[in-house]
Amino acid sequence: MSGAGGLAWRALHALLRALLCLQRALLACLRGRAAAAAATSCALLAPAARALGFREARAAWRRRGPARGAAARGRQRWRADGRALRKLPVHVGLVVTEEEPSYADMASLVVWCMAVGISYVSVYDHNGIFKRNNARLMDEILKQQQELLGLDCSKYSVEFANHDKTGQVLNCQSALKVLSPEDGKADIVKAAQNFCQLVAQQQRTHSDLDVNMLDNLLSSTNGFPDPDLVLKFGPVDSTLGFLPWHIRLTEIISLPSHLNISYEDFFSALHHYAACEQRWGK
Amino acid sequence: MSWIREGELTIIERFCANIIKAGPMPKHVAFIMDGNRRYAQKCHVERQQGHSQGFDKLAQTLRWCLNLGIREVTVYAFSIENFKRSKEEVDGLMDLARQKFSRLLEEQENLKKHGVCIRVLGDLPLLPVDIQELIAQAVLATRNYNKCFLNVCFAYTSRHEISNAVREMAWGVEQGLLEPRHPIHAWCFSQSCGQNIPFGTCVKLSFSSR
Repeated sequence: MSGAGGLAWRALHALLRALLCLQRALLACLRGRAAAAAATSCALLAPAARALGFREARAAWRRRGPARGAAARGRQRWRADGRALRKLPVHVGLVVTEEEPSYADMASLVVWCMAVGISYVSVYDHNGIFKRNNARLMDEILKQQQELLGLDCSKYSVEFANHDKTGQVLNCQSALKVLSPEDGKADIVKAAQNFCQLVAQQQRTHSDLDVNMLDNLLSSTNGFPDPDLVLKFGPVDSTLGFLPWHIRLTEIISLPSHLNISYEDFFSALHHYAACEQRWGK
Repeated sequence: MSWIREGELTIIERFCANIIKAGPMPKHVAFIMDGNRRYAQKCHVERQQGHSQGFDKLAQTLRWCLNLGIREVTVYAFSIENFKRSKEEVDGLMDLARQKFSRLLEEQENLKKHGVCIRVLGDLPLLPVDIQELIAQAVLATRNYNKCFLNVCFAYTSRHEISNAVREMAWGVEQGLLEPRHPIHAWCFSQSCGQNIPFGTCVKLSFSSR
């Protein structure tokens, strides 16, 4: 880059970045002040008494600490939040595009998903950090379950559906998968290799392969439906290889970061999903 | 040329283009043709008019890409899922395709002048036979041009394209051209889908956020 054009480009780029930072700062400020506006935006939850309760609970959740407000709020409120939405995703993908993932914040997101009644949750980062440190994430989730949901956490138990560690608990209500890029394109490549092997052994012909057969040959999300919703955290405008086969009809909502994420931000995304019109090509 | 709007940029457009070109530029841009019906509703015109104006805007966009030196453009024009729409709308879109591909064939000199290689990707047997013939003629007529590439995705879905790629590899194994123990790499899929260069940028032309 050189010359006047290069200088003009740099100036324009710097101006756009400054405007973007200003916009984010303004939005954060407005969000912090306009509790009433946030309650209004959750008008689907309606009665006013519940809206007031939500506002108080939200303020409690912002304080990080043992109480967190959730136990006080009551387990029924979590489920009521989910039921109050026009539609709730069956499977949510939590995709982190930031370089340094936070186990505590991801655990909060997983537990919130479970608590509002989302049946399937998958966690993904493009470096495979969560998958390599699966055990650490699980420990954090179990700890947050105890912290956020109080004593009766067996009702919201999670089945860890990864191949290397399955811990089934009574009254399992949610299932969790921790995924990495090897579950995306690499899984499709492996399925292709397996099918070609069958063709070489004359157990199949090339014309046998269709969309349904290839779908059955994939193994990364056995037992899970396709994601209805992906919450993507971080500044990268890409899902960075998260289940490319499975997200053909998935609603993708971008959030700035998963670090220090609040329940309000999470629920606001669910509310946005509930309000979106999906035409499926029609 | 009907697919690439004729005429030079205005002074302001040239000024902006020079600034943009000074920075990093994508080599391949994809456009998702979305929002034609919402646009038609907003302007109180028929849906078909919305689709037609959508095409006109695409033509203008392709001109900008040519001026900015973006060598490969992919356009997602019609998905297999769109066949679920009303017969009237699908027939209208097929008529528009007929009209545009016919016009393309009348402008062979311009295609040669700009060196535009047309590729049409999708499950083409799902289309009316006459449109398949027009597409075949356009693709064959421009197959040797290589200054820039226009990929039109017509009757596509990602799953169909991926499955077709696997089927082609399996055919290669059946024919003895490939051995299954040869590592099949993700690169094979993009070659089978007809792409030269992976996307640098994907642009969704509509108001909605997905």
